[in-house]
Amino acid sequence: MVTARQPVETIIETAQEEVERTRERIKKGLDVLLARNEPPVGVTPKDVIYQRGTLKLYHYRPMSDEVYRVPIVFVMSLVSKPWILDLTFGQSFVQYLLAQGFDVFMIDWGVPRPEDKKLSFEDYVTDLMPDCFEHVQKATGEEDYSILGYCMGGIFGLMYAGAYPDAPLKNLACAATPVDMEGMGLFRKWTDKRFFDVDHLVDSIGNIPPDMMLRSFEMLRPMDRWGGYIRLLDNLWNEQFVYGFRVMYKWTNEQIPFPGEAYRQFTRDLMWENKLMKGTMTLNGRPVDTKAIKIPVLHAMAEHDHIAPFAATRPLTSIVGSEDTEDVILKGGHVSLVAGKNAMFRFWPRVADWLSQRSL
Amino acid sequence: MPGQNGNSQASSSDVMELWRSWFNETERQLNGFFGEILGDESFARASSGYVDAYSVIQRSLNQSMERYLTTFNLPTHSDITDLGERLSSIEERLASLESTIRAVAEKIEIAPTGTVTKMRPRRTRKPAAKTSGAS
Repeated sequence: MVTARQPVETIIETAQEEVERTRERIKKGLDVLLARNEPPVGVTPKDVIYQRGTLKLYHYRPMSDEVYRVPIVFVMSLVSKPWILDLTFGQSFVQYLLAQGFDVFMIDWGVPRPEDKKLSFEDYVTDLMPDCFEHVQKATGEEDYSILGYCMGGIFGLMYAGAYPDAPLKNLACAATPVDMEGMGLFRKWTDKRFFDVDHLVDSIGNIPPDMMLRSFEMLRPMDRWGGYIRLLDNLWNEQFVYGFRVMYKWTNEQIPFPGEAYRQFTRDLMWENKLMKGTMTLNGRPVDTKAIKIPVLHAMAEHDHIAPFAATRPLTSIVGSEDTEDVILKGGHVSLVAGKNAMFRFWPRVADWLSQRSL
Repeated sequence: MPGQNGNSQASSSDVMELWRSWFNETERQLNGFFGEILGDESFARASSGYVDAYSVIQRSLNQSMERYLTTFNLPTHSDITDLGERLSSIEERLASLESTIRAVAEKIEIAPTGTVTKMRPRRTRKPAAKTSGAS
């Protein structure tokens, strides 16, 4: 039987809920404004097994006493901090792979110092990477290893595999890796060689400042920052939302300098000359022959990637010589492809499954 | 009347959903609009001009600061960068020495002091067998 008390109870419940939400909004709002109770990032336990300059080679502590024979080595981008793949508790691709029984390493290039302005692709691909792989071999007692490269890390992986086709590289997995720079959209337009004097920039300032890198990413979608703030206000009561926002916000805003010589090469050799796509790339006179890559290659791409557009990433498997290639096209953007809730159910299991068959 | 407050609660959340849809669509359209402007050749020309001007100013500032600091006998940015390069070089040589010592120690089977011998996991894992779809 309907009573007059029911509407009153509903009003009281609604009011209580709103009061609670307002309290949470104030508390979390203050946390965000005052940077209190920051979510921990890069949480998976690891050991630094090798250091050189700012480079650190991490070996993540295995989570099982039986692992796949072939270890995975993450090769990270120069553009941002590497803990995007080891985001936070329950949202770490590294931890996921460890739980699946993989032996995981990561090359963290570190934050470039002023003297690192001279570091070029040759230093990264023909010196530092082989050095790291030697240490991986010593740590595992295995000759073989697989590379998993995200974004520019995938470019480095591709260059390494093309420059050293006889290396004991077992598998190459790339994610959101652009190879055809004609598809790079706004970045290509802004570095148009008719107007953009990369030599003047690099010779004047050395490393590209992190602020310049951040603004250039933001200009790709100028409304995203403000849209993010408005969504945060809308969901400030929601602990999970705020936690996820703070983690991603921290990563997005912790840009690092881009080493000057590497930036010059990226602009000249890749953006202007599209050498990787055309097969004319060389490193220290050594040709980067992607057609000589015969190992299994996986490439995961995001359909709505605005940083490495689909048009730029799509051709990767077409420029390698391997017969065992797989393209994985997933919904999402450049970052949500590899990190966050969507990645946990899409990208992570696909890569783990592919590698599990090929890491024996 | 029963349901009245339920109705107002439902309509309130409808309004919020409507607002969110509007906001998402507006954000998408504005991003598209700005993308067209920023993708125009004139913007590329202007932004490259800005970068050039920034480079000139930065170089000029750096050179001025170098001169002033040198005048006052204070370390300059170049001095600190050079120091950093020398430190890096020393670190590399130390790392190389460490590596050589470790290799020699391994050859004559001396356990390195201060380290714990780690148990390596067995490298024999196999993927889970996939269940056949046929019954």
